[in-house]
Order: sequence, then structure tokens, then C-alpha cells
Amino acid sequence: MRTPDEERALAKAARAGDQDAFAGLVRLHQRRAYLVARSIVTVHEDAEDAVQEGFVRAYQAIQRFDTSQNFGPWLNRIVANAALDIARRRKVRSTEELTDALRSPFRDPGEHAELRERLAAALAELSERARAVIVMHDVEGFTHAEIGEMLGVPGGTARSDLHHARKKLRELLQDLRD
Amino acid sequence: MTDELKFPDAGDRADSPGEPVVTLIREAYAPPDAAAWPDVYWAGLETRIMARVSAEAEKGWWAELVPWARVGLVAAAAIFAFAGVVNNQLGAAEDQMAYEAVNQPDLTTASDEPIAGQYVSTSGDAAALSYYLSN
Repeated sequence: MRTPDEERALAKAARAGDQDAFAGLVRLHQRRAYLVARSIVTVHEDAEDAVQEGFVRAYQAIQRFDTSQNFGPWLNRIVANAALDIARRRKVRSTEELTDALRSPFRDPGEHAELRERLAAALAELSERARAVIVMHDVEGFTHAEIGEMLGVPGGTARSDLHHARKKLRELLQDLRD
Repeated sequence: MTDELKFPDAGDRADSPGEPVVTLIREAYAPPDAAAWPDVYWAGLETRIMARVSAEAEKGWWAELVPWARVGLVAAAAIFAFAGVVNNQLGAAEDQMAYEAVNQPDLTTASDEPIAGQYVSTSGDAAALSYYLSN
């Protein structure tokens, strides 16, 4: 775990062209960046592509990064944009498999793996933005303002999206609660 | 008035899906390859990212110009086309001038003086008077 000062030092060194410092930033942020991307594109391979593309874009734009700011939100905004680009291209991807999983008879609610599948299927039913907002806020703990910045919407819109996404998710998983 | 007041933070947290669901989401969205050997997976992803970053760095400063190449080509084509049109129009004007030079009499050297012995056709009283006075 690095302190914000150490992270800032890494960002400054990376800006000066130090690739080892940039690798340090990759090590620090890749897990969170992956989850941000995965929440948008849902498919593992696409999430990996988005993370790689996001880091490459961040490297290309590092001269424009303000080192007085935190690197994480800046990076995640770029990763989210890369993921949204991929999601737009993959719009035609069939979600039948996930939808079937969501609607399949619930055999054993106690099974952890099945619960996880049901949840993944329910999340896949949400829009990209709604899903991303839930994951970023409830799982990763980003603030509404940070989420808004990453997704290119006002913080209030991210907050409203979260409210509606949770409602929809509850509806989709209603039978698990009964 | 903003949405900040409509959905206060306390309500947000109270409405949260709760830790079990958060854990399930984390698991559902974890990389499949990371389940058994997470450190190996993340080290591998870091290596792939840095390989792409290094490749990007090796492209050098001129790679920055690549996106401008198309703009440059379009601009060059436009300039070339414009130069062609201008050249064509100048050529047409020169042709016209050459044509007129050949087909029209040279007015700058023409004279109103009759050539000696040449009959000058005139009409009216002034012309007749002029004829008798000159003979």
C-alpha cells in the first residue's frame, strides 16, 4: 500500500518518462481499473482490453495529467471511456446466455456459485451506466462526483442512476429475497 | 436545487445492497484466471500492459504526427486541386488572348488616312463638296 505522496511521486516520475514508475502505477491501479471496466462491458476479455487500452491512453496523455490531483480517478475516467467505446462496438453482442441464467428456475438458493451467477445475470440486465454506477459506488466506494466524472455525467445524475439501478436490481432478484 | 438534496448520503448507504451482495459482485466480476493464482494473473496483466506501453514509447515523437497525416494529405490534395483550377483558368485566358490576336485587325496601327489613289466611298453633300474641292 502506497501513500498518496508516494503515488504522486510515481506520477511525476512517469510524466518525466520513467517507465518503471508508470509500471508502479499500473501495479497500484490495475485491479480497480479492471473492475471499473468489467462493470461496463461485463465480459472478461473486453474488460482486459479496456484496461490495457486505458493504461496506454493514460501513458500517451500523462503530460496533461495534473500531478497535484489523484491519479486513480483520472486513470479510471480514461479506462471507463475505453470500456464504453468497446461496449458501443459490442452493442450487438447477445446477452441471451445471461438472460437465460437470470430466468432459470432457482434450484438451490444456498449455493453460492448459483447466487453469484444470478447476480451477474441481473447486473447484465441493467444498462451499462446503471451497472457501472452500482459497482463503482457500492463495491469500489467511489463518490457520486468521481463516478460522474468518470462516466461524463453530473454527480447528481450518477446519484439518481444509482437509486434507479438498485431498485431495478432488487426487482430482478426479488425471488431470492422472498 | 440539485439531486444532492433528493438522495442524501445517509439514504444511499441505507439503500446499499449490503456486504454479502457486494462480495458476490466482486466475485462475479473477478477475472476468471485470477481465482486460483491471483498474483500470477495480475503480474501477467501488468506485463501485457507495460509491453503495450513500451511499444507506444518506442514509436517516438513522430508517432504523434500520425493522426495529422490524413489531415495533411487532405490539405495537400485540396491545394493541388485549387492550383490545378487556377492554372486551367490562366491557360484559358492566354488561349483566348492568342485567338483574338490572330483573328482581329491590329487597331493600334490602323489609320484614317486614305491610301494614295484609293477610292474612298463617302456619301452626302459634305462628301461631294470635299470631292470637288480636292480635284
